[in-house]
Amino acid sequence: MKKMMALVSVGSMGFMLAACGTGDSGGQGEQTSGQEGSSTTIDPNRVRTVIGSSSTGGDTYQTADAATRNLEEVLDTNMQVDAVGADRAFSEMSGAQDDGSTIMYFHDMAYLGVEYGSFSEDYELENWTIGPMVATNPGNAFLTSADAPYDTMAESIEWLEDNPDETVSVALEEGGVSEIVFDGYYLWAEEEYGSEITDRIEVYVTGSQEDKNQALWDGNADIIHGSIGANNEYTEDGVEDDIKMKFLGVTTEERVDGFDIPTFAEQGITVDGEEFVFEKEFFFLLPKDIDESYTTALDNAMAELAEDEEFAEALNKNTYTVNHMPSDEAEEHLMEKRENMQSIIEQAPDLNDLAK
Amino acid sequence: MLAFEIITPFTVLLCFLGVFIGIIMGAIPGMTATMAIAIFLPLTYVLEMVDSIGLLIGLYVGGISGGLVPAILLNIPGTPSSLCTTFDGYPMTQKGEGEKALKVGITASIIGGFFSLTVLYLFAPFLASVAIDFTSVDKFLIIVFALTIIASISKGSLIGGLFSGVLGIFISLIGRFPDNNEMRLMPPGLEEQLVYGFSLLPVLIGLFAVGQILQEAEEGMKPASHQKLDLKKTEKNKFSLKIFKGQYINTARSSLIGTFVGMLPGVGGSAASITAYSQTKNFSKHPERLGTGEPEGLISSESANNGLIGGALIPLLTLGIPGDSTTAILIGAFLLQGVQVGPLFISSNPDLWSGIVITLVVANIAMFILMFFSIKYFAKIVFIPKYIIFPIIVLMCVVGSYAINSGIMFDVWTLLIFGVLGYIFPKIGVQIPAFLIGFILGMEAEKYFVDSLKGSGGDLTVFFTQGPIAIVLWILILGSLVYAFIDSQKSKKNQAST
Repeated sequence: MKKMMALVSVGSMGFMLAACGTGDSGGQGEQTSGQEGSSTTIDPNRVRTVIGSSSTGGDTYQTADAATRNLEEVLDTNMQVDAVGADRAFSEMSGAQDDGSTIMYFHDMAYLGVEYGSFSEDYELENWTIGPMVATNPGNAFLTSADAPYDTMAESIEWLEDNPDETVSVALEEGGVSEIVFDGYYLWAEEEYGSEITDRIEVYVTGSQEDKNQALWDGNADIIHGSIGANNEYTEDGVEDDIKMKFLGVTTEERVDGFDIPTFAEQGITVDGEEFVFEKEFFFLLPKDIDESYTTALDNAMAELAEDEEFAEALNKNTYTVNHMPSDEAEEHLMEKRENMQSIIEQAPDLNDLAK
Repeated sequence: MLAFEIITPFTVLLCFLGVFIGIIMGAIPGMTATMAIAIFLPLTYVLEMVDSIGLLIGLYVGGISGGLVPAILLNIPGTPSSLCTTFDGYPMTQKGEGEKALKVGITASIIGGFFSLTVLYLFAPFLASVAIDFTSVDKFLIIVFALTIIASISKGSLIGGLFSGVLGIFISLIGRFPDNNEMRLMPPGLEEQLVYGFSLLPVLIGLFAVGQILQEAEEGMKPASHQKLDLKKTEKNKFSLKIFKGQYINTARSSLIGTFVGMLPGVGGSAASITAYSQTKNFSKHPERLGTGEPEGLISSESANNGLIGGALIPLLTLGIPGDSTTAILIGAFLLQGVQVGPLFISSNPDLWSGIVITLVVANIAMFILMFFSIKYFAKIVFIPKYIIFPIIVLMCVVGSYAINSGIMFDVWTLLIFGVLGYIFPKIGVQIPAFLIGFILGMEAEKYFVDSLKGSGGDLTVFFTQGPIAIVLWILILGSLVYAFIDSQKSKKNQAST
């Protein structure tokens, strides 16, 4: 009997401790006392910012960290960035209370992932209050090995035309920014050169930037998606030949200051008759029914921060730029941007058909 | 530039503080060096670069080293990389040699740590280009090589061990397949909770800690034999450096394996100590004694898991690619300060590079001082009655599991589910160490298997035709398997004759 009691009591203790957290996952435990039942009140003490990336070395974490560290001073609150990844971030936002104690920070993948079917439709932009736009990573780029026989994305297609037995494989991440910019490149090549060329474009689907770099070095991919911030180091003089890279193009409207990299538009890459331009932008997402005063407070704080030179310098250290838009403008901008991208996504090939 | 011009007394103080906090976090089941660094990362923004590196490297070294305390004293791996430490560490505790085991582990740790930082300092740029030569095929074969330990530790029940290992691999694959975002092996209704699969830490401590506690509860929480020993009167608990006599090759080989596996980007640190332990068993004069409380096994595991620290920093600092999950967070510290790690890092930042090496030296010394001279107090944990220590362990496990992914309740349920499985598995012949090794390495094995096939256009012969590294690895894999089979047959014969 003693044995049984001991067994039962140890087991039940564990389950009781587990049950103390309630069955809901995430977010709920972060509420600050005194705010319950007051959906119109902003929690001024602590704001947890979940980001759509699980990396602390990427552009999402870097820009979120810089923004929240400054915003918390302006808002007189504590803001904590948690790199939980896109699925968990959305999941926690779905269960979050409307007092703004849990908010999200992410980039264009927030809606591209839904459009590509990587994220549930429950997470579409309409189900959140879109917060202010914060920053841009203007270095969204493609790269290849330094000794590759082409210097731009457009030249890679010409090279395929001149070498009918060759193929080009492109390393990218499914459902994200890298897929949409690849789709722009692919659709343009198909329209200009036909399927005879695009049938020889393959994709190497992978995840992190490190995996894409490794795919290039392994010879598993000829071209990789990357960014100026993450990859510039590999393109400089003094880097050993076996890991040296070169940029093939950026997707911004204008060239990035300080870098001699042609834009897609300069290379003549167009989709539906328009120059293909894509800027990777970072913004806040808030619970759908959050009080308007919260959004206004965040907007005001962000507007103040956008004027702060130290904040701009903090972003520039890693080649990011301030790109402030208040919530209403950000919402309009993102909805329009999504609509433009929907056309590309509808025409784009299924990656499963192109996968190596 | 002289060392004291690069690092200040404040850097040293932060490094000691980091090591101290790291040891505590590493020693708490469910908390890891990765978590310690993630918690302190935002605070480093206000520090100078060298000071922040001092703090973070201290946390890294302390966090990895602290895992040996619960592994040896309680049979609970504090961190995944201390899994193999339990194999011989806990049996030593059961024989009344807990304090000695801790000191052996700490000494092996500092040797492994210094070995790897020497390699880092002298050969980093060269080794980085070697690491690049390891393709996804080679990495897959290294994981397979590490998996061969399942055959070695399944002596007497090879089929049972292999089944357990395969079951572990199978469970590790539950979740979303990253290449096409499709769910696979998903229990109905758990898609949201298991999108990334079961978290490693709750599985690890559930199987070891909670499972063991349930087992003890069933037996009535009687004091274990080692709890009745008077350690002051037992000579065998005394530590002496003579224990390392005859272990020079083992220590060097294990440190080398730890450093080497650590420097391969994407191959987890756990693989380092598992591979090192496997090879120690293969080369041992008395392989049958490993797993019964031999310092040889403990030295192997601990020198390898501290060896991986310097190894993991090689691709981080020379290629900008983290070698393991902890250095993946460390890269954030550099970027927060606007420092780009990559192929030009060492030549562009010579002072910072020297600062990193010096803080690694300081962190290893701090770890040794803080642990070696306080270990007699830690060792007393084993004398605390079970009815007091077990509830505390359950509490720490629950808190650790909840915290591991910044507050996911399902991780606590994972802990409890695998706790119950840890209680049931031994009764139905599933071997927990083999299951866990399969679980830890399963995802990595799949990733590199799939990457190899993607690179070769689906051609399976790529695993045999990739080049000289693959051929050497196949020879090692086959040698390891043949050895494990012969050893298994021998032990069966011995059992039959007795």
